[in-house]
Amino acid sequence: MSAGNATLEPLLTWLTLILAQLERTFYKVPGSAVIARYVRSSHQNDPGRTVLELILIVFAVRTLMQSRSRDKSEGKLIKFSEKEIDELIDEWTPEPLSAPLTEWEQRDLASVPVIAGPNGPKPKILSTGKTVINLASYNFAGLAGNEHIKERAIETLRKYGLGSCGPPGFYGTVDVHLELERDIADFLGTESAILYSQGFVTISSVIPAFCKRGDIIVADRAVNFAIQKGIQISRSTVRWYDHNDLKSLEDVLISVEKDRRKRGTPITRRFIITEGIFERDGEIVDLPKLIELKHKYKYRLILDESISFGSVGRTGRGLTELYNVPASQVDMLVGSVANGLCSAGGFCAGSTIVTEHQRINGTSFVFSASMPPLLAVAGSEGISFLRNTPSALTSLQENVRAVRAVLEKTEGIAVVGHRASPIVHFHLKIPCIANGSANGIATNPTTVMPPPTGPSFDYEAEEKILQDIVDDALANGVFITRAKRLRGQEMVETRPTVRIVVTAALTKKEIEKAAGVVKGSVAKVLGKRKA
Amino acid sequence: MPSPIALSPSSPPPSLFLKKKKSSLSQIPPFPTAASYLSALHEADARARGQVVTPTSTPPLSISSSLTSASGDTVLNEPDADRSGLTYPLTAPTSEQVFTTVHTEFGHCANQDYRCVSQHDSEKPVAEHKIEEPPYYILFTTYFSYLLLIIFGHLRDFFGKQFAKSYFTHLVPYNGYAPLNSDFDSFYTRRLKRRMDDCFSYPVTGVAGRTILVYDRYSEDCNYTQMYPGTKTRALNISSYNYLGFAQTSGGCADAVEESIKRYGISMSGTRREGGTCDLHQTAEALVARFVGMEDALISSMGFATNSTFIPALVGKGCLVISDEHNHASIRVGVRQSGAHVRMFKHNDMDSLEALLREVISQGQPRTHRPWKKILVIVEGLYSMEGTMVNLPKVVELKQKYKFYLFVDEAHSIGALGPHGRGVTDYFNIPPRSIDVLMGTFTKSFGAAGGYIAGCKELINSLRLRGHSGPYAEAMTPPVLMQVVASMASIMGVASPTSSNPKASSQALTVAPQADEYIHPGMAPASSLPTWLSLPPSLSDGSEARERIRRLAFNSRYLHAGLNKLGFITYGHPFSPIVPLLIFNPGKMATFARMMRARRPTPIVVVVVAYPATPLVTSRVRFCVSGAHTKDDIDIILRACDEVGDILDLKHGHGERWPLEEIMKRSVELVNSL
Ligand SMILES: Cc1ncc(COP(=O)(O)O)c(C=O)c1O
Repeated sequence: MSAGNATLEPLLTWLTLILAQLERTFYKVPGSAVIARYVRSSHQNDPGRTVLELILIVFAVRTLMQSRSRDKSEGKLIKFSEKEIDELIDEWTPEPLSAPLTEWEQRDLASVPVIAGPNGPKPKILSTGKTVINLASYNFAGLAGNEHIKERAIETLRKYGLGSCGPPGFYGTVDVHLELERDIADFLGTESAILYSQGFVTISSVIPAFCKRGDIIVADRAVNFAIQKGIQISRSTVRWYDHNDLKSLEDVLISVEKDRRKRGTPITRRFIITEGIFERDGEIVDLPKLIELKHKYKYRLILDESISFGSVGRTGRGLTELYNVPASQVDMLVGSVANGLCSAGGFCAGSTIVTEHQRINGTSFVFSASMPPLLAVAGSEGISFLRNTPSALTSLQENVRAVRAVLEKTEGIAVVGHRASPIVHFHLKIPCIANGSANGIATNPTTVMPPPTGPSFDYEAEEKILQDIVDDALANGVFITRAKRLRGQEMVETRPTVRIVVTAALTKKEIEKAAGVVKGSVAKVLGKRKA
Repeated sequence: MPSPIALSPSSPPPSLFLKKKKSSLSQIPPFPTAASYLSALHEADARARGQVVTPTSTPPLSISSSLTSASGDTVLNEPDADRSGLTYPLTAPTSEQVFTTVHTEFGHCANQDYRCVSQHDSEKPVAEHKIEEPPYYILFTTYFSYLLLIIFGHLRDFFGKQFAKSYFTHLVPYNGYAPLNSDFDSFYTRRLKRRMDDCFSYPVTGVAGRTILVYDRYSEDCNYTQMYPGTKTRALNISSYNYLGFAQTSGGCADAVEESIKRYGISMSGTRREGGTCDLHQTAEALVARFVGMEDALISSMGFATNSTFIPALVGKGCLVISDEHNHASIRVGVRQSGAHVRMFKHNDMDSLEALLREVISQGQPRTHRPWKKILVIVEGLYSMEGTMVNLPKVVELKQKYKFYLFVDEAHSIGALGPHGRGVTDYFNIPPRSIDVLMGTFTKSFGAAGGYIAGCKELINSLRLRGHSGPYAEAMTPPVLMQVVASMASIMGVASPTSSNPKASSQALTVAPQADEYIHPGMAPASSLPTWLSLPPSLSDGSEARERIRRLAFNSRYLHAGLNKLGFITYGHPFSPIVPLLIFNPGKMATFARMMRARRPTPIVVVVVAYPATPLVTSRVRFCVSGAHTKDDIDIILRACDEVGDILDLKHGHGERWPLEEIMKRSVELVNSL
């Protein structure tokens, strides 16, 4: 034994040296203290054992690495000769890069009206040259076409040029971006905000900036596409709860906690992700209850206010104002400058820790140019308009009531969503069933969610009918649109709807008249179908 | 007409003023009245010229007002202005020379020798990108400084957690919440990046043109917080992606944008497929398709989103994406969202690509060994961190053999490369339609925002319908659209409907025949532009943009060659406007940025990048040359690099070295010898 020790001596000194060095770096890794202590004590007791254990570790690491690399190539490579490879290459015929459009897809694409000139409450349609009433564009407070904002934009153009020509980290942070960030934070009452250059990518970037592999996300089943993509990229563990059902949410939260207890794993980051006003159907989440649950179960809340910011609450501050909840209670409040303020871009408001983290980890913030300065100024002006013109939001709400009043009395369609929502969705009361007649199917007309069981719907047929309604309304001077979806790519296939976006820029009379036209179109198209 | 500038030298030779450099008195504007007198003269001069050149098409009011504000700013805030070469040219213009641009945005450079045509010599093979290795001691000290930083950071964390708990509450589990960002995950950010945070995210104001106004700031708590005294410094801007110098507050493009705001407002308030499409979108898309030489094109309101939302519509499960290892983050996000399998090949290494292709086609899909549905190879035209240009001829050759689809991200190359500014296809004279998908962004050369995808009609229609942006993302706004249309039309030149104006287009542009039988690269037919758009003659005949492209090509080559001759290690293609200069050591990198910024009379702002944006050892400074720079500007940068490089021991290149004066004197010869 002693002879063995003597030969091992230089090796051991060297090992100890290495160990000491490793230890120093290792020590700060969470949980490493335990290992370090263990190694040290075991080494004291029996140096030979250290060697053995080291060999074991090397083996373990090797096996791990091996299994991972095997995972990557997934199975052994088959050996081919060069000639065989050439043959295989010759034989291989790839599919075309894009599948040709179906007839319906072509119609869908062609049916999008093109506006000639500015968009606003009464745009001109290029193909017909007619002026129509616009119930399709996100112009809640009536900011589109605001002359003062245009003037300020031109001033900004003459001082800053158009593009920022650089990402925020590299001289692309212009003072007007910081001003808009400050304005948003002030407006909402959060510590700070961060500005992204497109609304859609904002939340797809915010989610993976915080949610990593191993974290837990509890999300509404019907969240919008951008959130779905964010969740997909984050690679976190996702649990879904029923659409806008906070009871179901609580059940999920409880079961997640139970699971964790059972497994005895340490707490990871946990997030609830949902929308303020759902883009899909206009439902509004019960924010106070949501906040209560989040505090109770110690989750962080990522709330997408892309529709509700600039459209609900006394001055358009969104859901937090509507429910009188301090915005600081929402950990990450994501909104859209494009929708709510008629400019471009999106933002995430929250604590400074939250926003500063994104300045380094928000993929589409870091790797993309900042938005053109004049659009940021337009956003700031939009906020000051909202602050000073609460009447805009009041008339918006009146108009919402007017639209709903007409549509709810319309035969053959079901209006869904919350009464205060400025986007009003409706779908066909009687669904089209994939194979067979549409009679006698009991579905819940108050939701766009597909029933969990039962026959599948023929969405394309429904879409076609709705498109007929939209086309007819346009011919009669009212511009509405189907809520376009990427069929086959969404997580849940909801019923096709027509989405009406109410605006404060139209008078109640005009709105009522427009809603009447929509009603007429519904009656006409559905009547024709029956006949 | 005798120019007033001839009466008084508004831009004296620099040496006269440089002597006073040390005098603290000169910090206060030495001759306030003289300075304002000079600026007033300059202003009057510029206004007069503006009127001479553009008597009708440009409203004189807007030009003069913007000039006034720009020079007004200067005189008030910038005591150094007159000798820095930033506000007034160092080389005094002669009385015949007429400049319509504001020198701070777009430099005055009349010497036609300082021009160059960016074109591949088809006789020569595509140059392999060679990488120069630094001496071993540089590598050693680099690793060592990282090691030191890491050890020191861990020590600080260790003691911090014992003695300054409040700094760590948000990094450790607290009150039942896991930390948003654990101390381990954020270690790099807190302990390495924060040390040089003063080199990033500088707030700026004004236009990101040839020069830029940066807000001064300092930190008293090791970059935890930055203090802003409210002062600003004008610095030479060699950092913005303003390749063709279209970041301007005046001129034909800005006038067109102003008009578009008046006519269209700010926003289209909706997504493209839900009523946010206007006639300008159609105009711009048609123009982009012509510009890049494809059948059709679509545009999206953000360059990043162009990749991240349209790549998933190209490939999906059962498909393979082969991606260059240095591809941009937006491409990675897009590929990840698509669900396709990904393999990477070594940066711009065609052998590695071919070997990979042979392997993946013969092996098929993992496990099942079924053949791949399709293979999409994604490369960039010009790589944003390396400055390397894709070996497009070889990729296209491989494409014939291996039948993959090819996606080229031209974010940086479009506008900046090729004799006609049509990107990497133009540079190599490869028909654009031999590539399946051409993607690019408007953020860079065009001074706008957003991106495009061009391809055959069927493909583009399918993307319009199946890409995520169509139904869910906001449409591009009218002012941005107009900047795209105006800048693009000025690069193409506008073919007037009646005469084909052979004089203006004789040099490089082929005369565009009928609208339908378009020959690439040709001019934009006037009918394809909005009727209300009136571009000044220098824009519509394409002559101004041609100057921009040629100046950019000269400047790029000159900076590359100059830095090499000074003894620096640079990466990238000589025609690439992105010029990375290797610094290696993270500490030197931050110091380099600070020293450049602290230079007087001409401060220079630079972009420095280190791990994780680059491999660990190859920290670098990345220059982005612009057509707005003058030869004098490049000289200033070379001089600055020369001096700072000596101090920081950065010159480790192996090639022949020239003294700075010789480089400056023989610049034209140097550029043409590359
Ligand atoms: C290759 C590449 N693609 C896409 C982008 C994103 O473009 P944008 O800044 O317009 O979002 C960039 C910008 O940095 C890029 O370098």
